[in-house]
Amino acid sequence: MQGFRREGDAYVARLDAAERAVLLDVVDDVVGLLTEGGPSSVARGRAAAAHPLDALRMEAEDVRAPTDPALRRLLPDASVDPEVTAEFRRLTEGDLRTAKTDHLLRLRATLMAASLDVVVVPSEAPRIAAALTDVRLVVSERLEVRNDADADALYHLIGTDPEPSEAADPRAQVARRFLATVYVVLSLLQESLVELMLEALPEVGPEPG
Amino acid sequence: MSTVTASSAPLEDVDLGEAAVADGWSTVVWNDPVNLMSYVTYVFRSYFGYSTARAETLMRQVHEDGQATVSRGNREQMEIDVQAMHGYGLWATVQPGAP
Repeated sequence: MQGFRREGDAYVARLDAAERAVLLDVVDDVVGLLTEGGPSSVARGRAAAAHPLDALRMEAEDVRAPTDPALRRLLPDASVDPEVTAEFRRLTEGDLRTAKTDHLLRLRATLMAASLDVVVVPSEAPRIAAALTDVRLVVSERLEVRNDADADALYHLIGTDPEPSEAADPRAQVARRFLATVYVVLSLLQESLVELMLEALPEVGPEPG
Repeated sequence: MSTVTASSAPLEDVDLGEAAVADGWSTVVWNDPVNLMSYVTYVFRSYFGYSTARAETLMRQVHEDGQATVSRGNREQMEIDVQAMHGYGLWATVQPGAP
C-alpha cells in the first residue's frame, strides 16, 4: 500500500486487490454492526406499515446502550449522568447510526471504484476520514487496545516474526497479527489523508482566550 | 457573533431557573488510544473554527490530561457539539458547569 498523496485536485492512495478486499470486508462488518440491533430503519419501516403512528412511537421508546463494546465505541455515552445519556440516545442515536453508515458506504464505494489507485476528492475527504476512524475504533476494540502502549504494540507486532512460544495457539496468533495489520494499514491511510486535509484548511487568526 | 438583548425575549417566556444555567454547559472531549493527534486537531479546527495553535493546545490537553473542555454554551448547543464529535468518532460528553 501507499498512503494518500495529492495528485492534481484529488487525494490518491494505492492499495492492491488483496488489501482492498480485506478493507471492504472490515467496512462491511462495521456497517453490519451499525445497522443491526438498533432502532433500525427496517424495524421502523415494518412498524410504519402496520400503523403510521407506530413508527413515531418507536422513536419515543428508550434506546439502550449497545452491549457490544465495539459498537459502544461508535455510539458512546454522551454524559456521566445516566439520565442525560439515555435522553441523548433516545433523541440522537438513530441519526448518528445513519450518518456513520453513510460515511462507511462512501468509503466502501471509494474502495469499490478503485483499481490500483484509491481516489478521494477533497469535498469527500472528511466523511472518508470519519469512516476510517470508525473502522479503526471497531478493529482496536476487537484487538483489545485499551491504552497508547497497546496501540503502539500493534505496530511492533506486525514488524516481528512470531515467537516460538506463540505456537501454543498459532491460529489465534495469526488472526491477531492479521487484524493488527489491518489496523496499521487503516491508520496509515487515515494519517496521510488527514495531513492533506489539514494543509487544505484555511488558517484563522488567533482568537482571544 | 450575535448577542441576545433583554428586549429581544418576551419576559413571560423567560424561565429564571433555566436562564441561570443557560450558559453553564460545556463539551468535554476524552482521550482514547485510537484517534490520531492530527485528526483530533483537524476536527477542532474544522468544526469549531479554532486556529491551529488553539486546536493543537486542546488536542495535547486531551492527550496528556485525558480530557479537555472544547466548547461552552447552553445545553442545546453543547448537545449539538457532542453529537458532532461522536459523528467524527471522538468521545465527547456534555457537562453542566463551564470550567
